[in-house]
Amino acid sequence: MNTPQIVEAVLFASDAPLTPGEIARADERLDEDQVEEALQMLKAEYDDAQRAFHLTEIAEGYQILTRPEFAPYLERFDNVPRANRLSGPSLETLAIIAYRQPIGRIEIEYIRGVNSSGVIRTLQDRSLIDIVGRGDGLGRPLLYGTTQHFQEHFGFASLDDLPRPDELPIILKDRMPLQEGEGDLDKEGTPVMSDPGESPEEQQPDNSVDESAQDVVL
Amino acid sequence: MDLRFAEGAIVRDDFFLVEIERFQGPLDLLLHLIRTQDIDVFDIPVARITAQFLKAIEGLDAEDLDSAGEFLETAATLIRIKAQMLLPREGDDEDEDPRAELVRRLLEYEQIREISQRMRASEADRGRRFSKGFIPARPKLLHQEMPLETTWADVLSAALAVEMPTPKGLHRVTTRTISMQEKVVLILDRLQDQSGIEFSRLLKGFGDNMHGVMTFLAGLELTRSGVLFLRQSEPFSELWLYRREEDEDGVSSDVGVIEVDS
Repeated sequence: MNTPQIVEAVLFASDAPLTPGEIARADERLDEDQVEEALQMLKAEYDDAQRAFHLTEIAEGYQILTRPEFAPYLERFDNVPRANRLSGPSLETLAIIAYRQPIGRIEIEYIRGVNSSGVIRTLQDRSLIDIVGRGDGLGRPLLYGTTQHFQEHFGFASLDDLPRPDELPIILKDRMPLQEGEGDLDKEGTPVMSDPGESPEEQQPDNSVDESAQDVVL
Repeated sequence: MDLRFAEGAIVRDDFFLVEIERFQGPLDLLLHLIRTQDIDVFDIPVARITAQFLKAIEGLDAEDLDSAGEFLETAATLIRIKAQMLLPREGDDEDEDPRAELVRRLLEYEQIREISQRMRASEADRGRRFSKGFIPARPKLLHQEMPLETTWADVLSAALAVEMPTPKGLHRVTTRTISMQEKVVLILDRLQDQSGIEFSRLLKGFGDNMHGVMTFLAGLELTRSGVLFLRQSEPFSELWLYRREEDEDGVSSDVGVIEVDS
């Protein structure tokens, strides 16, 4: 038995993505490099032979998945319709968490402008996010981050597969100084969505909005 | 007058009709107002936008304080910015534009919204690729009807082989037995000197419900054997028991029939 066959057997028997390290556990003579090499061989082999499935890089690992063009046939077997699609508010919240993790609820709500505790709970129930720590602010708020299941759900090979902010049509060239949320988080460095050239020193927190907003009488 | 239709809103100069329920929050609404009117986000006409925003949230459900509060907070921010714009500013530092923070939030929100649209596309794409186990295992057949292969003799011997546990130390309920026989004697006795009698009269002097049951059963038994017939004029009315006359040969057609006239 050669290495690609062993790797293939392991991948075939798994219904979740496996990392090269995990696959290498199949045989003590295997190391990650050999597995990686075998994975690339298998990948090319499936593509050349036009198999109905291919070797997909997903969630920091590899998984055998059917090709999208076969979906119409397979969906006929989906006799339990799964409510898999996320709602607009869920996606919005998930996007914020993905880019700004670790992030607390108050900051998420400041970005969205609406209460988000229900959405956060739903995302947590679906294992798309998890608590990854506590902030240093008042009451040591819970901080959220995305899970491996999040990457599986969206088919991302890694978090680098998230749309890059500089590819978006809205470019924050004339970005204003970033406000430090509600002062509840201990954020290090520049948040993901800031311009690369912007240094933290230039950020001047402007908390006047929330303080004085309460003084305005309608 | 410039009258054009935008998505979900009718724009007519400064007059804006917006369905507030369509928006996920105040930022969503603000962005909508700005983007549908081709306003430069870095130079928002605060007075105009504030007026439109306030107009749009007029229809807010005051009962739903949570979401109404979010819109009102943003309205308050807009009004404050509007007020600050009227005040002379010290110096011309760009950072001091009172709109700066709001603009930053709006752009960030818009960016998040764009990203979430792209994530929706990724989600749909992933949804078309399936892993092993997607098609569920063949469902197990439920309770299929099978011919009984055992004979009744087998069933009976199996039943007999079962040793029933004998409960020990349990309280036994004993009842005072009232025999149907004594009720038959009672009925016949009472009908010695009259042709009919009310059921209720037969129960006179007996307290227990059981007497009623046994008297009724005795009446039915005597009817079945052709000694009596029963008559009731309507449901729940008095039941009469009549002696069947000897001279009808005991074979009359209404033997055993309980008559209920209605």
